[in-house]
Amino acid sequence: MPSVTSTKLMAYCCLLGGLLIAALAGAEEPDPQSLLMQACAGCHAPNEQGQLSRIRDIRKTPEGWDMTIVRMGIWHGVAMEPAERRVLVKYLADTQGLAPEETANYRGLIERRPNMPATNADEDIGVMCARCHSYGRIALQRRDEDEWRKLANTHLGQWPTIEYQALGRDRNWWEIARDQIPAKLAALYPFKTEAWTKWQSHPAIDPSGTWRISGERAGVGRYTGVLKVKAAGKDRYETDYALSYADGKSLTGQGHAILYTGYEWRGAAKLGDESIRSVLALSADGNQMQGRWFLKEADGIGGDLHAVRVVDGGSGIVAVEPPFIKAGTSPSITVYGYGLTGDVKLGEGLKLVKVVQATPEQVQVEVKVAEQAKPGPVALSIGPTQADSALMVYRQIDSIHVEPAFGIARVGGGTLRPVQAQLEAVAYLNGPDGQAGTDDDMRLGSLPATWTVDNFDEAAAAIQDAKFAGQIDGSGLFTPGAGGPNPERQFSANNVGNLKVTATVQDGDRSVTGDGQLIVTVQRWNDPPLR
Amino acid sequence: MKHLKALNQKAELLERAAEEGKAEEVFLMASVAGCATTFDPGWEVDAFGGVAGLCQPMEADLYGCTDPCWWPAQTGDMLNTNVNWTDGKNAAQKDWRLLDAIYPED
Repeated sequence: MPSVTSTKLMAYCCLLGGLLIAALAGAEEPDPQSLLMQACAGCHAPNEQGQLSRIRDIRKTPEGWDMTIVRMGIWHGVAMEPAERRVLVKYLADTQGLAPEETANYRGLIERRPNMPATNADEDIGVMCARCHSYGRIALQRRDEDEWRKLANTHLGQWPTIEYQALGRDRNWWEIARDQIPAKLAALYPFKTEAWTKWQSHPAIDPSGTWRISGERAGVGRYTGVLKVKAAGKDRYETDYALSYADGKSLTGQGHAILYTGYEWRGAAKLGDESIRSVLALSADGNQMQGRWFLKEADGIGGDLHAVRVVDGGSGIVAVEPPFIKAGTSPSITVYGYGLTGDVKLGEGLKLVKVVQATPEQVQVEVKVAEQAKPGPVALSIGPTQADSALMVYRQIDSIHVEPAFGIARVGGGTLRPVQAQLEAVAYLNGPDGQAGTDDDMRLGSLPATWTVDNFDEAAAAIQDAKFAGQIDGSGLFTPGAGGPNPERQFSANNVGNLKVTATVQDGDRSVTGDGQLIVTVQRWNDPPLR
Repeated sequence: MKHLKALNQKAELLERAAEEGKAEEVFLMASVAGCATTFDPGWEVDAFGGVAGLCQPMEADLYGCTDPCWWPAQTGDMLNTNVNWTDGKNAAQKDWRLLDAIYPED
């Protein structure tokens, strides 16, 4: 039976995953400002303008505000009904959120992309904060120096052993945390910014309408489709998905979404037989959305999504399938978009053989690619609608990258699911310099591969990581071994491992291989939306 | 060693290691059996970017981490935030399966 605290914790937290996208049922929404006063003013004193201490000095993402409210529930017993929390998160994210420019470098964290290598914009802040948190969790907040200092005080008070941990005990940690880091944080992530001031006066965007979408779910394939969005209350929408994968499989689904801060789309839907969540950012002109969707039960598994609004009388190309074709072959390609009418014109090295099918939404053509066609992007147009980089030509695959290059999987067990890692084999061209692994390499796209895992280094070999850490299947999906101490391992170690993952792709008679590193590690019980 | 008799499993392991000619092998920092603040290994990866230097098995010292809130961003912090997280789950070696997620999926 859960303890009192953990039961309370569950009650506060178990709503979190669905909170940001749950539709508001019922006629009456609580007034957010009254609710804020009622729930928070007992501790956070209002100033003359009625703004509450600390709360008025912070800006965050919707997830950031929700985590704050959850924390206040756990620490201070702030009781709040789910509907009230939704209202409060919406109000705070709308009035004290982040501008699109302020989240742009950390979308991957909000989108819950697995295995995103963190880049510390400031090394000192990284050492102070990003040994426990992702750097992005800090960079997705805005405060002035005094308020950042209060956060340092909160950490020392709440987690006092922080001072005695590595990189704490061996330097004047508290002096650095109190006197140096807040100024650095305030310089990089200040409360008042031009970006936020401008965004607050940005005209409201209504995403209602029809969107052409495209993307790729790693391990499953590329897809295109249509997303229909219908208004269902202020900043709330009903959604209707129709997807077609490159292998011919079709999916439909319905769901709903909320728009936070004028551009932060959070959606939930049933897609086929899977429950998914979507985290997208609307472009400032309201005509594009970009982001990711993932399984509700396993946020490491999901796909990219790019959406283009279908505008009356307009046209656009959203995807070409396949997106890369080989010199000397005569493939069939399909162009997906909307408003596609007119003659098909192809760039240098490509010859149109015949138009197989042509509708405003998709145009299928047979083409001949010259033996000497130049590797790289090739232009393509249908009537007035152009795409300059949607189609690539290659003579041979120069290299294979395993993506992510540094992956993480986790053993599970008990109350936690294991965290699988979905890997992809992605083909690249060397680019103009003829060298693999340089900045001018050109990405072609993912390909089926055969997968193997091995020990990453001597230390891994010595404790037989590859034997114990888990298995990879034909789609590049790695499933970790069982959780718990393994008596068959030295020291009864867990089934953790440091693995080298190798993908082998056939390119005609050639085999091209690429390696990645996969860390299989232990569980994390504290797994909030911003880690 | 001939005048000493192993009284428990750990001592037997030491005895066996000596018999197998492993007496000179030292696993300092490369493999942390159990854990200590002196070592302070990472939670997910060790100081070398691998997992061979992690505290292993994790369960051997899980409560040593959670009691003094050593890894509060990854596990329960029993000092202030999740005080009763392990109540009734006193044997980490088997009761780790009963521990609730701090942020369970909805």
